[in-house]
Amino acid sequence: MKRRSFAVALGLSLATVGLTACGSGASSSDGGSGTIHVLVYGDASNKVEKQMVDTFNKTSKVKVVLDAIPGADYQAKLNTVINTPQAPDIFFNWGGGSIQPYVKSDLLLPLDDMIAADPGLKSNFLPSVFNTAVIDGKSYGIPMRGTQPVLLFNNKKVLADAGLSVPKTWDELINAVQVLKGKGVTPFALGGGDKWPTLMWYEYVFDRVAGPELFQKALSGDKSAWESEDSKKSLGMLKQLIDAGAFGSNFDSVKFTDGGSPALLAKGKAAFELMGSWEYSTQQDANPDFTKSSLGFSNFPSVTGGKGDQANVVGNTNNFYSVLKKTKHPEAAAAFLKLMYSDDFVKAQMAIGNLPTTTNTEQFLGTAANPDYSKFQYNLVKAAPSFQLSWDQAYPPAASVPLQTAVQQFFNGKLDVDGFIKAMQALPAS
Amino acid sequence: MTALSFVSGSGRRLRAGRRAGVGVTRPGLAWAVPATVFFLLFALVPLVLVAVLSFTSWDGVDSPRFNGLANWTKLLHDPVMTQSVWLTLVLTLAGVLVQTPVSILLGVWAAGHQRNRAVLSAIFFVPLLLSATAISVVWRAILDPNFGVPSQLPWLFGDGNLMGSQSGAIAVLTFVGMWQWTPMHALLYQGGARAIPQVLYQAAAIDGAGKVRQFIHITLPQLRNTMITSVILMLVGGLTTFDTVLILTQGGPGTDTTNSAYYMYQQAFKSFDFGSGSAIALVLVVVATLISLAVVRLSGYDKMRSTSEGL
Repeated sequence: MKRRSFAVALGLSLATVGLTACGSGASSSDGGSGTIHVLVYGDASNKVEKQMVDTFNKTSKVKVVLDAIPGADYQAKLNTVINTPQAPDIFFNWGGGSIQPYVKSDLLLPLDDMIAADPGLKSNFLPSVFNTAVIDGKSYGIPMRGTQPVLLFNNKKVLADAGLSVPKTWDELINAVQVLKGKGVTPFALGGGDKWPTLMWYEYVFDRVAGPELFQKALSGDKSAWESEDSKKSLGMLKQLIDAGAFGSNFDSVKFTDGGSPALLAKGKAAFELMGSWEYSTQQDANPDFTKSSLGFSNFPSVTGGKGDQANVVGNTNNFYSVLKKTKHPEAAAAFLKLMYSDDFVKAQMAIGNLPTTTNTEQFLGTAANPDYSKFQYNLVKAAPSFQLSWDQAYPPAASVPLQTAVQQFFNGKLDVDGFIKAMQALPAS
Repeated sequence: MTALSFVSGSGRRLRAGRRAGVGVTRPGLAWAVPATVFFLLFALVPLVLVAVLSFTSWDGVDSPRFNGLANWTKLLHDPVMTQSVWLTLVLTLAGVLVQTPVSILLGVWAAGHQRNRAVLSAIFFVPLLLSATAISVVWRAILDPNFGVPSQLPWLFGDGNLMGSQSGAIAVLTFVGMWQWTPMHALLYQGGARAIPQVLYQAAAIDGAGKVRQFIHITLPQLRNTMITSVILMLVGGLTTFDTVLILTQGGPGTDTTNSAYYMYQQAFKSFDFGSGSAIALVLVVVATLISLAVVRLSGYDKMRSTSEGL
């Protein structure tokens, strides 16, 4: 009796396991019944995406289902499902290295046939942006949402009090550091605790000194790029800046993500902050009066004798939609992607403060949340000969932890120039 | 259930003295089935899968490929891994050393009859009700070098760069851990202290022992088993500390606070190297098990020695 009940219980539990296993397999088959799933990063921009999906579903036979994953979990979730039957048909990404593993695993659909059928899918976007999602000569992404260049923000009032103007060259920047320090102001607010804000300084200084080619060389696996003259010169300039106290002495205890470094700028304890274009909406949210009266912005200064064009920009080029090879409805996917350059899409993005990189964006700049700021950004990105994707997104995901660690250690003095070069050469390249 | 476990737990000793009473039988094997099935499904199966994964290279996208001992040899030669093990031990030990005395004092105090004791105990208990995330975010704000407490007390905190040095970051992690977990351990000690027979104190008082002597010679020895339970919980908790590291320091500056649990997360979910992540996870499981066993053995807890001998 006892033995039998044991066996029954065991059998039951095994059956349950079997059932759950079947269940998860079966639920994915609804891909065939006329729907496509679009996986997006869950945040405030979902508002526009929902609107686009509604518009699309009104006229399309194949219906789009939008799945928004909370931002912090997005990449892990995407990576977990992408090679399973639960994978979406279309998904949000950052282009570059962020989709490279998927391209390598042959999961993504090259969009060149789609573009051949509708050239607008390419010609309606700014080329410097569109190219971020081109891998091995094939297009794997259509820009969506908006561009996020890194800009040098300033507190106009602090600059005026110190008798300074916005620095246009590196020498003016160094001069500003000396003047501001004399006034007891930290020249540059830096959220070193987050690590990625520190990386922005490298991206710009390397670009200005060596031009975008040096980093491309390193990214393609040529490790000598890191020990080149230009690389060493850039590191020397950064070191000079750090040693001059340009970032204060406690930047590793400050974060951008908890509002620490934006507060330094807004409260006048720091004069500048190098940050992605989202600094504006961040400040507007936390310090609306400051944003209105004294938040200034400019491009990163030029470096005399440097090979990089002063008009070059770094940052998050854009977000992209990529399509999975296994999708049963590529035509519907193509029709959905078309919406990404529609007037309605552009207007809706501008209304929430995003800046799409379509060629028709220009005519709607006046309708933006802040037209001056949007115009400045748009013209900057449009005129940029090169738009360098953030290094931690350009490299494959395996590189991001050691990359950010090395960046932080160089800034706080734990690594010297040679140590940093070694760390960068050890990164797994594409 | 309590009756059953009572019989099985003390059966050995009962048999030595008196025979177990008539009508009390040993529970059947069937009682263990639900727990066994759950244990197999949610503990053993994943553990075996993790062990298998640790011999593969897997980015979470393609199917896992066996790569033999590659992950393990990589870990052996990885300075960050070695450092992370040391850091884990340091953080765990610091946690035990800091939390134990505070919890004992607080718990014993809360077991008494002072005025306002209930109200104050309830307040002390609050940190346990907050999530580790909320706690970490709050402490980050309090310790902000430019707008938090350090900016008001420069003579104590210097430039406030707590999270920018290894010793500072470890101190912060230990302090926040203490703030978060002391209430729970105090609760354990409170229960333990309440169970101490009052006759012991009365006898000691007659013999002329003061409060301090009573505490050292009665309370502490009587709390021995509670202490072992509490220390094991602290050890296992300390070895797997993750959430506070993630939010307070992100393993930084550099890799200075990258403990093993955080390193496992970094490898698996940031670098998408699930093979290495699994190997670290396995190391953690083994170390935690060994330490728990060692504590149980060394303390004599496994002999189930009673604290009420002589009563």
